[in-house]
Amino acid sequence: MKKTSNKIAALVLSAAMCVTLLAGCGKTTTASDSTPASTSKASVSASVEEKQPEVKGYSEAPMLADQVAAGTLPKVEDRVPDADNVFVETKDANGDPIAIGTYGGKITMTGVSGWGLSRPINESIIRFNCDGTWYPNVMKSIEHNADSTVWTFHLREGMKWSDGDDFNADDITFWYYMCHRNNFDGKKNGWKCLLDQKVDDVQTYPELAKVDDYTVTWTFTQPKYESDFILDGDFKWCWAPSHYLKDLIPNYEGYEYVENPYWPNPGERNEEAVLAAAKTLGIEGSSTKDVGKVATYNWWNCSGLPTLCAFTLPANSSIKDPLCVAVRNPYYWKVDAEGKQLPYLDELNFYTCEDEQRLLLFRDGTLDIIDIGVGDIASTLSDMGGAASLKTFASVEWGDTQITFNYTIADENYAKLFANPDFRQAMSICVDRTKVSELLSEGFLEPGQCAPGVGNFGYDPEWTNKWTEYDVAKAKKLLEGCGLVMGSDGFYTFADGTPLRIDFYTYDNPESDTNNFAVLAQYFKAAGINCAQKNMELSAYDQAIDNNDWCACIGPHTSIGGLGLNDRPAPFVPIAQAAEWYGEYGTYYGTNGAQGVKPEGDMAKLVELYEQWKATDGDAAREAIALQIYEIHKNNLWTIAYMKNGNGYVLANSKIQNYADTLVYADKYQNANIVHYATLFIAE
Amino acid sequence: MEALKDFFRKDLVQYIIKRILMFIPTLLLISVLVFFVIQLPPGDYVSAQISALASEGELVDADYAAAMRADYGLDLPVWQQYVKWIKDIIWTPTDSPYYRLYHSHHNWKYSFAYGRDVWSVVNERLGLTIAVTGIIMIFQYLVSIPIAVYASTHQYSAGDYISSIIGFLGTAIPNFILAIVLMYLSYKWTGSANVGLFSQEMLKNGVHLYNFGEFMKRMIIPIIVIGTSGTCGIIRSVRAQMLDEVARQYTLTARAKGVSEGKIVMKYCFRAAMNPTVSGLGGVLSSLFSGSTVTAMVLNMQIQGPVLFKALQSQDMYLAGAIVMVQAVLVVIGILLSDIALAFLDPRIRYSGGGR
Repeated sequence: MKKTSNKIAALVLSAAMCVTLLAGCGKTTTASDSTPASTSKASVSASVEEKQPEVKGYSEAPMLADQVAAGTLPKVEDRVPDADNVFVETKDANGDPIAIGTYGGKITMTGVSGWGLSRPINESIIRFNCDGTWYPNVMKSIEHNADSTVWTFHLREGMKWSDGDDFNADDITFWYYMCHRNNFDGKKNGWKCLLDQKVDDVQTYPELAKVDDYTVTWTFTQPKYESDFILDGDFKWCWAPSHYLKDLIPNYEGYEYVENPYWPNPGERNEEAVLAAAKTLGIEGSSTKDVGKVATYNWWNCSGLPTLCAFTLPANSSIKDPLCVAVRNPYYWKVDAEGKQLPYLDELNFYTCEDEQRLLLFRDGTLDIIDIGVGDIASTLSDMGGAASLKTFASVEWGDTQITFNYTIADENYAKLFANPDFRQAMSICVDRTKVSELLSEGFLEPGQCAPGVGNFGYDPEWTNKWTEYDVAKAKKLLEGCGLVMGSDGFYTFADGTPLRIDFYTYDNPESDTNNFAVLAQYFKAAGINCAQKNMELSAYDQAIDNNDWCACIGPHTSIGGLGLNDRPAPFVPIAQAAEWYGEYGTYYGTNGAQGVKPEGDMAKLVELYEQWKATDGDAAREAIALQIYEIHKNNLWTIAYMKNGNGYVLANSKIQNYADTLVYADKYQNANIVHYATLFIAE
Repeated sequence: MEALKDFFRKDLVQYIIKRILMFIPTLLLISVLVFFVIQLPPGDYVSAQISALASEGELVDADYAAAMRADYGLDLPVWQQYVKWIKDIIWTPTDSPYYRLYHSHHNWKYSFAYGRDVWSVVNERLGLTIAVTGIIMIFQYLVSIPIAVYASTHQYSAGDYISSIIGFLGTAIPNFILAIVLMYLSYKWTGSANVGLFSQEMLKNGVHLYNFGEFMKRMIIPIIVIGTSGTCGIIRSVRAQMLDEVARQYTLTARAKGVSEGKIVMKYCFRAAMNPTVSGLGGVLSSLFSGSTVTAMVLNMQIQGPVLFKALQSQDMYLAGAIVMVQAVLVVIGILLSDIALAFLDPRIRYSGGGR
């Protein structure tokens, strides 16, 4: 999502955004609120329990009807689950009713890579609404026992893969034992949601059992709470097409067979055999790791792979193509309220172009949906009349134009200075935020602090405005209180006479804050802080961060805060080698103390609270702990922001229907996945 | 036949053999430079990949990164990586997994980003790159040489000035700006920005007779942008050379003997004036292979240049290395061919001591 800069657009859009966000007000899930934990079998079949309308008979797209008539495709009734198992789409992510669409046409968007294609097409275990409520999606229902140690997934009988093969419990056991546990997907240790306890420092995993063709259970030795399991941001899928991939599974050192009662040991299958099998299936990769990643992890990018999505990549289309075409899945398991099989569109097209060409290509009709910066919104809408429609994605980030210091820097003078909250306060109040907003966002972004935005969980006006006054005199007083001494050149030095110069690291990226340095530096220098910019290529920047070889940064690559701990905890607590604001403290936790710096003080308190949070069930109890974590952030402001965060904006061809005007952009909701592309259609 | 035999006389054949033998140390030296220069930026493909994943919210642990490096052979010292790279390019044995998979003795390795054999990535765009660059080059020569001849035979005339202005404009305006302006004008005037060589329909169904007109329409902007940028250089050099030749003694003699002006210009002066242009053809082969990078990106042309750019950016070193190596080979061959062509064009040129 591109960031902003236009006051008029802000006024029009902010009202709509607030409606969406206030509705959620930080509640990421609500299921357990209504779930009596004392019952022997606590049902959490959905946080939004609503009976779906009964559909009488199915209809299908004309192109599919032609294939049925030609005898090349089974009848729609044989392709879609029956009324008890089919998913009926009636509402968008805001809960507003969707229109019954017409079949045909395509939507063209910009090219994709990595996770890109998953956003519009992925179908997850569950699905979120904009307000954080959720409901089962691929699963028909989900339930757990009283102490949350046994989870049961019920599948939709009659559901099929996009090539027509049955989707059933075997595909789940296959994924778990033959793709995930054997590390073929490279994520055996990467998904916290699928880790059980550690016994004698050895990680254990839940047991997955097939109860029948359409029921599986996950058994943990200790409680696995909803937030850590089905609501975990990582746990999007737990299946793979066993009928398609069974000959591809490796079995050699690093990818050893995991004993299980469902899939026999395939015998020795080395990298060469895997690559040969991959070649037969048209799966690209130079190593088992590559093949495993594309076939079982970023599987949406794998041409020809059967999926459960509304649109799939046929064998003759690749995300590396200048025009990647995802086509309608004839076996898709969702229908609208009238029984029309979704999706309405024939194709989703992804056209590779440079960022700078998007606007022109949108104007000339080549692209139907683009991200847009606020500076371009007014003129484009004005030029295009009613042909373009603006969509707002409310952001969950904590503020804009951020700086962060290296709290684990080796130099003692700098480490002591950065650890002092007075120093951070001085660095915050020495900047005129109103002017910065005018210079960097044409006054569009409001002055503010690094804090949750309006409507987000933990929103606190006091926090948002903390240390935001512009007071250079006070800043200087605070700096002197930190032991700094003003030198003859107008810049502070350390008490021992060592010159103070803060090098702000930035990296090359169209959306990074590389240019913010020039604006902020004039204020820092005016307050007596000598500073310089070290701009570098992104991988070099990340390497400097990883090596703890940096001083401060502007626009951290991995920001602080976000939707909530339930989404991903790493942006809130120092538990991984990731974010700049905790540097080596995170490495310490991530490597079990083998590397990094042991957290102390409030950093250590964050880790402590995180451990408590993990061991706690129930939204209310967890939120209470999360608020304590937020309070520590409020007190410390390890990252300083100079403006409140803006929203993301998308321009869509006005002919596209069922695309909600306001949505929420969050990783947990899989970003643009919340649009529900299967329900979009082109109005004549 | 006799003329050809005469042309490939002993001294020239010896010269060609000597030059071909010189290819080996030259290319080895280039390969060392290429491999090490590509590795100069900090980080490697894995660190670039981890950054990209982090941008998408996916965290990669150190063990996974180390395993990726081991898989790609990036954990070895650079010199070992180089030796392995060059050894596998020269000869990959029949009993190697690569040979069993691809039936080739020359393993140029995999592109990390594409997850494919490097050659399959290069080949994908090779035909189009050669076709597009070839068309543009032909345009350049067809436009600039007649203008240069006219300008030199009508020195200081209005036509001379106009052609000079057009030529200079083409060179002076940066290609990417001219491309953006032309795309915008195209959008304003025709409703289509004509970005890219292919429409979506062509990308899906391929270029056929029925949509060839559309393809040629989309070639207009690249031809103008890339073509005009090169014309000025050719115009100025040919014009200057022509002016030099028309003032020479042999021209005056021919004119005094009553030879027609057209014959003097085309048969004698023009042939001599083409020497610098022909010697510049050494780089043509390489250009045909890579195409124009920045302009290709601005115009969204699916040719080789942007592939190399992105490979360098993401430190996809085997892909970048293969493209640069092929370019180097083509430059070396191109220079040899231009030297041979020079000898053909100008009988006065010799490649060994003494004359006939």
